[in-house]
Amino acid sequence: MVLDISYSVIQVTLLSLYVSGCATFLGSAIGIPLGALIGLREFGGKGLLKTVTYTLYGFPPVISGLVIYYLFSRAGPLGSFGILFTPTAMILAETLLVIPLTTGITISSVTEVDRSIKDTIISLGANRRQSVLTVLREAWVGVVMAAMIGFGRCIAEVGAAYMVGGNIQGETQVLTTAIMMETRLGRFDYAVGLGVVLLGVAMAVFLFLRYLQEKEVL
Amino acid sequence: MNQTQKILIAVAVVAVLVVSVAAGLVVTQKKGSLLLATTTSTQDSGLLEYLLPVFEKEYNCEVRVVAVGSGQALEMGKNGDADVLMVHSPASEAQFVKDGYGTNRTSIMYNWFVVVGPDSDPAGVKNSTSAVDAFERIYDNGTAGKAKFVSRADNSGTYTKELSLWASVNSTWTKTNVSEWDSSWYLQAENGMGAVLDMCEEKNAYTLSDDATYYSRVEQELIPHLNITLTGDAKLKNQYSVILVNTTLWPHINKTLAKDFLDWITSQAGQDVIKSYERYGKQLFTPNAPGYTTQAIQLGTSAVVTSAVPDKTRPGPPPCPG
Amino acid sequence: MTAPVSLKKVTKRFGDVTALDATDLEVNAGEVFGIVGPSGAGKSTLLRVIDLLEAADEGGISVLGKSADPASKEADQIRLQIGMVHQKPVVLNRSVANNLAYPLMIRGWDQARIQTSVDRELKRLGLEDRRGKNARTLSGGEMQRISFSRTTIFSPKLLLLDEFAANLDPANVALLEGMVREYMDEDPSRATILVTHNLFQAKRMCDKVGLMWGGRFVETTDMEKFFQAPDDERTAAFVKGDLVY
Repeated sequence: MVLDISYSVIQVTLLSLYVSGCATFLGSAIGIPLGALIGLREFGGKGLLKTVTYTLYGFPPVISGLVIYYLFSRAGPLGSFGILFTPTAMILAETLLVIPLTTGITISSVTEVDRSIKDTIISLGANRRQSVLTVLREAWVGVVMAAMIGFGRCIAEVGAAYMVGGNIQGETQVLTTAIMMETRLGRFDYAVGLGVVLLGVAMAVFLFLRYLQEKEVL
Repeated sequence: MNQTQKILIAVAVVAVLVVSVAAGLVVTQKKGSLLLATTTSTQDSGLLEYLLPVFEKEYNCEVRVVAVGSGQALEMGKNGDADVLMVHSPASEAQFVKDGYGTNRTSIMYNWFVVVGPDSDPAGVKNSTSAVDAFERIYDNGTAGKAKFVSRADNSGTYTKELSLWASVNSTWTKTNVSEWDSSWYLQAENGMGAVLDMCEEKNAYTLSDDATYYSRVEQELIPHLNITLTGDAKLKNQYSVILVNTTLWPHINKTLAKDFLDWITSQAGQDVIKSYERYGKQLFTPNAPGYTTQAIQLGTSAVVTSAVPDKTRPGPPPCPG
Repeated sequence: MTAPVSLKKVTKRFGDVTALDATDLEVNAGEVFGIVGPSGAGKSTLLRVIDLLEAADEGGISVLGKSADPASKEADQIRLQIGMVHQKPVVLNRSVANNLAYPLMIRGWDQARIQTSVDRELKRLGLEDRRGKNARTLSGGEMQRISFSRTTIFSPKLLLLDEFAANLDPANVALLEGMVREYMDEDPSRATILVTHNLFQAKRMCDKVGLMWGGRFVETTDMEKFFQAPDDERTAAFVKGDLVY
């Protein structure tokens, strides 16, 4: 079964990992500090902002795809970059989906850190920046979970990935869009096979991250 | 966080950046590239994987293929998101060119639409004399509750063809009317061709399909109770064309390479490649670019025809299965 | 030299509740000042105000000779010299050694100096063999020892203890009380405020004692006088355990 396909499963898998990895990284780099700031500061509209963030957990990926599509279509405002139908567009669309997740889960995690710990940190002499970093470290398990959930969302993304990537063989074809194509072709056993690869790869990534957590590297 | 961890993170960040840049460079090719927008059925037939590498090798370039619905392919052409189009929706194509979005619209090949139906053939399509007659029978039996039809009901070339056939039966049957037909017999699937065929299998219904998708489904033994009940009628000819996207509107397009592609695919060489593509034990596409000839082979004579033969005098389509 | 802590007519409200009602307090250098009284009298709020964690609504606060808005950077500076220990042990999710090192690390001490101080404290606490273990895995008494040491390790000028030895077994109580004594002996300019329910502890540790009730001090006097011959009848009743509230 693995032989009778013109694309390479390995290449498709690597691209899936690359796109999802970059999107998770970007989404975390933006979402985690943002979540820490929102979670640890008091300001007018904080409650509303939190609600909006949590609501965006359910942000339909197709809309993210549409937004990126319209922005980067040649006819669109950012068309001259020529990003549509490249992995970059897919990364951007998926990053949009990851940001609410990493932000929101970080907000929850830092909020959950006991008040007494936050007070202790401050009373021990930490300034603003130091206390945010220390609370983040106390909430680290939750924060890493946020990144892992973000990754899960990316690796499973199909609609937006197809829309802005175009499923171009050898360039923007990832596991999920390949599965969709195989389903359309009626080759259900291939689709299932790719699905198994997808699950396996996702699980391998999670196990690795868990391992790093155990060893306290993360 | 100790030193080791800091170093590991720094390395990871650098690695990601390097890989991103490298990947970006790969995509913005050093050699020429074209983005070809085509339909899913064209890609699914497997023709492009067979055809394009020949062109890519000869011209040392890359053709990137995005397969979407006909309507979207044309939209992509309008927006400059594609460089070349390969579609099969003549009316829309004509409008596209008329509106100034594309140039050099040229026929390249055709295949057949087929009217697919259940073994029992409740509407007696096998006995029909033409495609229009077949559709009339389906309508009459459908409204009488004896037969069903599943429609693509999307912006695909197949749906466009289906609508034109309904309009040929009765000129008042516009898209608006047709879409309001009773769903007890006329099912609007809004889905891909493969899925629609699967539905016909489930519901013992008729549909209009392209032959390649039908054969593909048959090969995978997914539709054991469906047969081709009619094909070969001139009205069922599915004509493919290549259109170049207007490079005045979209100067970023590699004009030379796009023209090369058109020239090649309509040349003897390119057309021969199309003819030689076989799948499901059949030649799936019949090349018919202007100037291409297969006269000698079709007539079964030993005469070698070397001059250009215009389309009109070519032999007619094979007879309808009785 | 100005008193380490000086509060004049300090009021603090939380919505409808008045936690501190025009409270006066003066704590001198070298003093261990005990605060006793019923729950809800405002004792914890008082400590938070002194530690510049809460802003008072009215009144004058001078801590270590300065006044500052709790939200300001100046307050951050002052807090570097105050240490607060709570009843509940609060340890960070890291090793024992790193917990102790934390306040020194944020003050930018160099590794060698931190190492020396941490080693010294671990020895004092008897936790040398557990230095690498995650502090959260230790017993309550051990965690409280860490909490305490982590607060004195940076040699604060003012120590605020909020029922810091409640719920501990006698051995741990004795250990911690001894450490407060050591802390005060090391530097006569230091001061300690101790909030406690334990009258015996107050007797053991304090130079001065104040009874807080309804957001203000009912009586503040020398420890002996407080227990033997208080001026206020409420104090007398309280000391006997008869105060009805």
